[in-house]
Order: sequence, then C-alpha cells, then structure tokens
Amino acid sequence: MLLNSVIIVLREVLEASLLISILLALSGALGMSRRWIVWSLGFGLIGAIIYSFGVTVISDWFDGVGQEVTSAVMQILIYWLLLAATFLVLQKHGVHQLSDKLTILVMAATVALAFVREGFEILVYIYGFSNELPRFMSILTGAVIGASIGISIGALIYYFVRSLSYWQSLLVGLSLLALVAAGMLSQAVLLLIQADWLPSQLPIWDSSGWLSETSVTGQLLYALIGYEATPSALQAAFYFGGLMLLLIVVAIAIKVRRQRGCESHI
Amino acid sequence: MMSRTSRLSLQILMLLVFSLDAVSVLADKPVVELEIRDHLFWPSEVVVPANTKVKLMVYNRDPTSEEFESYELNREKVIMGNQKAVIFIGPLLPGAYPFFGEFHPETAQGRVIVE
Repeated sequence: MLLNSVIIVLREVLEASLLISILLALSGALGMSRRWIVWSLGFGLIGAIIYSFGVTVISDWFDGVGQEVTSAVMQILIYWLLLAATFLVLQKHGVHQLSDKLTILVMAATVALAFVREGFEILVYIYGFSNELPRFMSILTGAVIGASIGISIGALIYYFVRSLSYWQSLLVGLSLLALVAAGMLSQAVLLLIQADWLPSQLPIWDSSGWLSETSVTGQLLYALIGYEATPSALQAAFYFGGLMLLLIVVAIAIKVRRQRGCESHI
Repeated sequence: MMSRTSRLSLQILMLLVFSLDAVSVLADKPVVELEIRDHLFWPSEVVVPANTKVKLMVYNRDPTSEEFESYELNREKVIMGNQKAVIFIGPLLPGAYPFFGEFHPETAQGRVIVE
C-alpha cells in the first residue's frame, strides 16, 4: 500500500516537477525573479481542487469522455504555452527586450495548468482513503515520500541547468522543454484516441520488451520525453511534428533577434 | 528516388488513411461492460474480438474512486465513486492485455483477452 502510493504520487509529481525545474532554471538563467512559482502553484492547487470536485460532472460531458477531452485540451494548451515560452526566452537579451512580465505570465500559466492536471489525480487518490484512518496515514506517508523523490529529481535538474554557462543552460533548458512539450502533444493525442475523437491504430512499434513503461527508467523517460512502449502512428506524427514546429519557432526567434540586432547598429 | 523522410511521411499518411477506413467500417462498436465492486473487477476477464474497436463501460459500484489503468492498452482514466466511465479500446491484435485499478492494485486486476 505504502509503496503503491509512493509510485502513484511520484509519477504525477515527476511530470510537473520536471517542467517547473526547467522553467525555473531558464528564468534564473535570464536573471528574472523566480517568485512567480509561488502564485503559479497556488493557482494550480486551487484549480486542482476545483477540478477534483467537478470531475464527476466533467466526466459526463461529450457522452462520457469529458475527462479525456478536458485533459487533452490542457495538454495542448501547455504545448502552445511552451512554444511561446521558447520564443520569449530567445528574445530576452535581444536589443528590444520583450517584457519579463509576459515571459513570467506564460511560464506561470504553464506550471499552473500542469499542476491542475497532476494535482487533481493525487487529490482524488488521497481523498478516497480519508475515511479509513490507518490506511490514510500510510497513503499520506507514501505520498510525501513520492512527492519528495519527484521534487528532488526536479531540483537535481534545476541545479544541473543552473551550473551551466548562459548559452549552454539555454540550449539544455530549451531542449528539455521541447521534449516535454512534444510528450504533452503525444499524450493529448492518446487521450483523444481513448475518447474515440481520433482514430485508433495498431502500435507502430513495441519496445516494451526492451524498455517497459512500468520500469523506473521507463517512468522517468515517460515524464521527460513522453516515452511510449507502444505508440500509434498518430502519436508519433504529433510528437515529431510538435518538435519540428518548436524548431521552426526557435529559428524564427533567432532570426528576429538578429534583425533587431542589425537595426540597432544602423 | 524518394528520400527517407518523404517515404516515412507517406507511410504515416497511409497508416492514417487505413485506420480512418477501419473506423468508418466498424461504425457500431461492440460494448463490453465491467463492474468494480469491493476493489475487484467483475468480470476480471473480458473477451473482445481482434482488430475491432470496443467501447468499454466501467461501472464503479464502490463509494471510493478508482483509476482504470493499463500499460498494454495505453489507457488511463479516473472513475469517481458510484460513477461510470466510457473507455474506447482497440483495434487490438490477439493476445492478453492486463489492466488494473491503480488506486487498489493489490486486488483490482483483470485482463482483456483479444481473440
């Protein structure tokens, strides 16, 4: 029971923790205040509580697939926000700096949304045991341990990115962000397939024998790069399409920066 | 000569077209019902046809929430206490696909047998 709660909470916390640590490290590298994380998590927590109360109603939407659709919409939103964050991070320290406020707003919205998604499941899980006190304590202990491990891994990534030089930290941070973003898109596609909004297909490969999604490495890679042992073609297409779009945004951002740089020298 | 990327994108496109085709042919999907009672799945084994999309109806008769989860089926869904959930699965190749209740994995276990 204890071990199970450790794993459940760790899985949920890990995804949010990775996203938070990368965004925090990037805002740190850009010399911005990192205080946004406090109110962003606050809003996320409020959102998660509201969602866990509303989930019974939400689940019934769209002929019983409201949960999938809502979750997919949130993930697609996170993808677009990460796209915007990537652009804004690359604009920073250009000659015409876009305001820090916009960057912070985008980052905070991303974290809050991610927190709603992951926090809701933890809340529903823990709340389910609230009327069995001995079990509840064991679940709670497991949840604290799981959350601590997840946060520690996030902290490790944060300090790793922060230990790099300015351009290295931007490169590593944005690359990790791109993988997380593409993973979000692929998860959203999976949810829409589960809801029967997108056609389902046989998996294009099965790497579960080589690296199981249930293994620790599999779980970590799932959170970091959206690893799937048996993805469908649609998922793979959106994953790589999502990465491609991000690369295009990076190219545009760099070009805009260069042009601005040239203008200012005239 | 076709480049590797264009061949890959063509393959993906073909896969998409074929699967859309498969969906339209099987317009009325078979429904399979499952119940969760005392943190157990009833029945714990369901048989579904191969290469067919199936609508899984899961009724949670317990007052507590459960999460239907299967790595093999790539499915995951929270089902609140005394609620029902719709989960579409398949088309699948013949075989056994285990699923479990993530909140009570020690008891809530089952399998989808695809024939």
